[in-house]
Amino acid sequence: MPGLTQKIRNIVSRTPRRRGRRIRKILLEGIKRGETILRTKGITKKFPGVVANNHIDFEIKAGEIHAVLGENGAGKTTLMNILFGILRPDKGEIYVRGRRVEFKSPLDAIDLGIGMVHQHRKLIPAHTALENIVLGHPKTGKIPNMRRAKEEVKELCRKYGFKIDLNARVWQLSAGEQQLVEILKALYRGAKLLILDEPTSVLTPLETEKFLKSLRIMAKGELAIIPFITHKLPEVLSVSDRVTILRRGKVVKRLKTRKATMKALAKHMVGREVLFRLKKPKVKMGKEVLRVENLSALSDRGILALKGVSFSIRGGEIFGIAGISGNGQHELAEALAGLRKAKGGKVIFRGKDITRASTLERLKMGMGYIPPERVGVGTIGGFSLVDNIAMNLYFDKEFSKRGLLDYKRIRKHTEKAISEFDVMAPNIDTKAAHLSGGNLQKLILARVIPRTPRLLIANLPTHGLDVGATEFVRNRLMACKKEGMGILLISEDLDEVLQMSDRITPIYDGKFVDIIPAKKARKESIGAMMAGAALKKSR
Amino acid sequence: MNLPGLKLEKVLVLTGREAVKISVYSIIVGFVIFSIFLLLEGTNPIDAYKHIFSFAFDPSLGLVPTIHRAMFLLFATLAFILPLKAGLWNIGMEGQLYLGTVGAFAVAYAWGDLPSGVLIPLMLIAAGLFGAGYGALAGFLRGKLGVNEIVVTIMLNLVAYWLILFLIQGPWAGPTEFRSRELPASAIAPEIWEVPFTVFLVLAISVIIYFLSARSNIGYQIKTFGSSSSAAEHAGMNPLKISIFVMVVGGAIAGLSAYHMWAGNPTFYLIPAPQTYKAVGDFTYWGIMVGLICLLNPLAAIPMSIFVGALKEGTSAIVRRLRLPVGLDLLLLGTLFLTFVAFQFFHRYRIKRIRGKG
Amino acid sequence: MWSFIARSLEISTIFLLAAIGELLDQRAGVLNIGVEGLMLFGAASGFVTALWTGSLLLGFVVGTALGGIFGLLHGFFSITLKADQVVSGMGIVVFAVGFTTYWADRYSGPLPAELSSPRIGGFLSPMFFLAVALVFIIWFVLSKTHLGLKIKSVGEDPSVAEATGINVVRIRYLCVIVGGLLGGLAGAFLSLAYFGIWGHLLTGGMGWIALALVPFSLWRPTMLLAGALIFGIVWQFSISPEAIAPGLGIPLGIIRMSPFIATIIVLTVISLPRIRRKWGLMKPAALGKPYIKE
Repeated sequence: MPGLTQKIRNIVSRTPRRRGRRIRKILLEGIKRGETILRTKGITKKFPGVVANNHIDFEIKAGEIHAVLGENGAGKTTLMNILFGILRPDKGEIYVRGRRVEFKSPLDAIDLGIGMVHQHRKLIPAHTALENIVLGHPKTGKIPNMRRAKEEVKELCRKYGFKIDLNARVWQLSAGEQQLVEILKALYRGAKLLILDEPTSVLTPLETEKFLKSLRIMAKGELAIIPFITHKLPEVLSVSDRVTILRRGKVVKRLKTRKATMKALAKHMVGREVLFRLKKPKVKMGKEVLRVENLSALSDRGILALKGVSFSIRGGEIFGIAGISGNGQHELAEALAGLRKAKGGKVIFRGKDITRASTLERLKMGMGYIPPERVGVGTIGGFSLVDNIAMNLYFDKEFSKRGLLDYKRIRKHTEKAISEFDVMAPNIDTKAAHLSGGNLQKLILARVIPRTPRLLIANLPTHGLDVGATEFVRNRLMACKKEGMGILLISEDLDEVLQMSDRITPIYDGKFVDIIPAKKARKESIGAMMAGAALKKSR
Repeated sequence: MNLPGLKLEKVLVLTGREAVKISVYSIIVGFVIFSIFLLLEGTNPIDAYKHIFSFAFDPSLGLVPTIHRAMFLLFATLAFILPLKAGLWNIGMEGQLYLGTVGAFAVAYAWGDLPSGVLIPLMLIAAGLFGAGYGALAGFLRGKLGVNEIVVTIMLNLVAYWLILFLIQGPWAGPTEFRSRELPASAIAPEIWEVPFTVFLVLAISVIIYFLSARSNIGYQIKTFGSSSSAAEHAGMNPLKISIFVMVVGGAIAGLSAYHMWAGNPTFYLIPAPQTYKAVGDFTYWGIMVGLICLLNPLAAIPMSIFVGALKEGTSAIVRRLRLPVGLDLLLLGTLFLTFVAFQFFHRYRIKRIRGKG
Repeated sequence: MWSFIARSLEISTIFLLAAIGELLDQRAGVLNIGVEGLMLFGAASGFVTALWTGSLLLGFVVGTALGGIFGLLHGFFSITLKADQVVSGMGIVVFAVGFTTYWADRYSGPLPAELSSPRIGGFLSPMFFLAVALVFIIWFVLSKTHLGLKIKSVGEDPSVAEATGINVVRIRYLCVIVGGLLGGLAGAFLSLAYFGIWGHLLTGGMGWIALALVPFSLWRPTMLLAGALIFGIVWQFSISPEAIAPGLGIPLGIIRMSPFIATIIVLTVISLPRIRRKWGLMKPAALGKPYIKE
């Protein structure tokens, strides 16, 4: 009977998976350390206007960790997607253990024993870890025997030293634990080759260490691992055997890790000497614009996320909050902007107690908020540039008289703002949906900054932007500082916070660990505080 | 979907012109399908349409009822359009109409001896207020607690239905159990050019709604909130205020239509039992249909309402003449609606011809 | 008194069938507000078929099938054509109103006496037990089987589900068709068994209440059973209040409103912030959003 259902299932499904299973038996059988698992020859992929991958040769052996480095836009994502079957190359071949293969979809890659762990988790938050691991796998059968599955997964955890509560719901797990679930998911399907997409970018230093240890254990056997990374070079390099560097779609250098230096790697990645120094203008600090006393707030799930923070910001000062996402900084930003009710504490803006004030009142009083979501929240795709800019003008008596909007004035203002902020668009009636990410962010700045807010809350302002746009945004924020605006900068990029802020505070578990003037800030100690260390170092 | 020579392309943003084309095509296809139904009944569709429109627009026959019905529909459409611009589905036009009826008739029965010049405005105000209040209830629940307004407004419709039935069979009973008492003579709508003045009232409202949406501050807030409620909140807009505002205005418009329907139409001048077929019936659904097809444009709703009004009056005529089953106009409504839904596809994808080699 | 309970249970049956179908839809992420329309189709076509063929069974079969067809249509519009699910559902309702009025109203009236529906002990239709069994079957599928896990994943995050090899489109179609079949069955039961009559728009709003029962049950089959039983009593009370509370003195029109007012109250209560926090966690995250690949 079970054989019959299996036969029916195979007939009904359209992908010739049977073949894959047979091949996988070949792949998995007797794989020894040092054997080449995967090899690519001449992989080329073009998109309109750009050659994303240009004749890439790559290979990885069993038991090896082979890192692929590259900047944003170097072609890493494309290569990754090709190796996992999400994209098909225009030219070039892929060999798995000597056999030529073609991936029609990720399922083919999975069948062959390739697994991928994505940067943005592909897990279902409402389900448990175990359910996520087991989901969709043919081995799971019609009525899954969860007990047996749990034993199997537990065995995997034992083998590789993973510590994780399989019955927890994914939304309850930390970023590092979620990553483990994804790895387990791939391993449960018999993956022998793991592709990791920016594995350490959202981990705290402590989690990163644990993760790297696991990597070493995993590679002790016959597993092969390819981490694709842009930042955090030193950590990943500490475990990899070889490094391949991509730049502009081509392989520019292949190195054995022990022969590589940080400086050389960075140079190959970028192609020039990298010295990004931001010109921090000398600004005389003005009056205090914001004072926060013991502010706390709940998260969307009703748990206390912000646990009583106190600080103040003066005009012309940049106050930087460094933290891994999920430690309360988002709730802090929203509580300040009036988008979230304060559970306790006080917020005093320009001398007035605004703890109970609405967002509208705060905007009118001179607060500006740059939200982290560019699309749909910071801008509306279906609106023209004019209508987008009007979101900060409609409540101003200058632009709205007797209940009617003065579109002539609004349009003029928009023209000026668009050109001042270098927003690339054919005209001001263009819909925002046609704008690139960098231009959208500029549009948001063009909406908020010309109102000369006294306090600017910049929540992840350079998140996901390319180098050029990032530079633009940072310079703009500096210009705002020069004009005497108080700026609250929230960022996950520790370098960015260190370079731009006058005072820095690492946030962990809803509390400020310490408030440190920039001159005294050391990257390693701030990083440690972001992860919860040095909590005892309070005054 | 792979047809030779054609490919599908995703739509990023739909231009106004493309949207209008899609609506027009969907109407045409809808009529084609309806014609098939007519053929199945043994009727020649061309004949049928000729009869429909010749009756509907003949000044001595159907023109006045057509205009009356068309403007009634326009009320419904406007009451639907404004809330949807803010993202709220007001399916409660029928209930708001009934509440408006209650308001207007309560005033008329109580103060029937007042002169028209005082009574009628009072009736209008009462009708609008009652309808607005009913709408505000749904708007408040949606704005404050996020309760699904579709189910709430439909529930309110059903409650109002029974309320009217209770009133007709109770305190306001007429000679039979299917009608209420008649309205006092001073309550009847005066006519301008043979149509009740409410025709011009609703046309004016249509224009007002148009300008409200295009030029006013609150119209901008409505538009923004309807596009992205979180962007609107970040811009300081108040979800509760906007939800209540649109439902109040929508409810008021639907409430006003009560006066138009009962006091403006010689067939009535009283409240018929709500299950009476010729009366309210599909008010709500036609309002939704016209509103959606006109892409929420209050001015475009005017010609479309007239078109639909003609269809409704015309189909009643041919039902009698050609001995077709009752409910033909409802069938037409359903067909047009489903066709429109199908054509929603083109709001997401364009069909492009592949030129030479892709 | 016993007849009141029996009738309430039969009303609960109707709510249960329609609502459990909609629950399945919604767990897969498809919102079908056309439940009232499905019931109308089932009721009308079942009734007319029974009238023409003299077979009650055939009436049930056709009514159910027609519900399934329109469930499929809704699926086609919202899954393949990617139309807005609310608009598509509305379309089903409106078309149902139009079509059934046009086609079935001429048959308004009771079924011939030979076609009265079988009742256990002469007083409760076996359909009630079938409905309860269905609830438990669906509960079992959703919580214990792999298929159920797949359905839930599709409703939470279809792109993740797709990446695990699940055919999202196929699962959604499956659920929407089953939901349609159940809605049609509910309607057929209404016209063939409970009433034994056809009249203009026989369903009178029951489909909408069934729709409201789904979020009320926090998308759990067991709670749905409880909700359906409660509303069955409320509905039957609104029709024949004298069975429980004779001499209440409130005019019939006002009492007839009670199920609808009750629905509004129930929906309001579950939306209160405290309760909403728990509710928000149960709602399928992808509900109502069309699934667009890549």
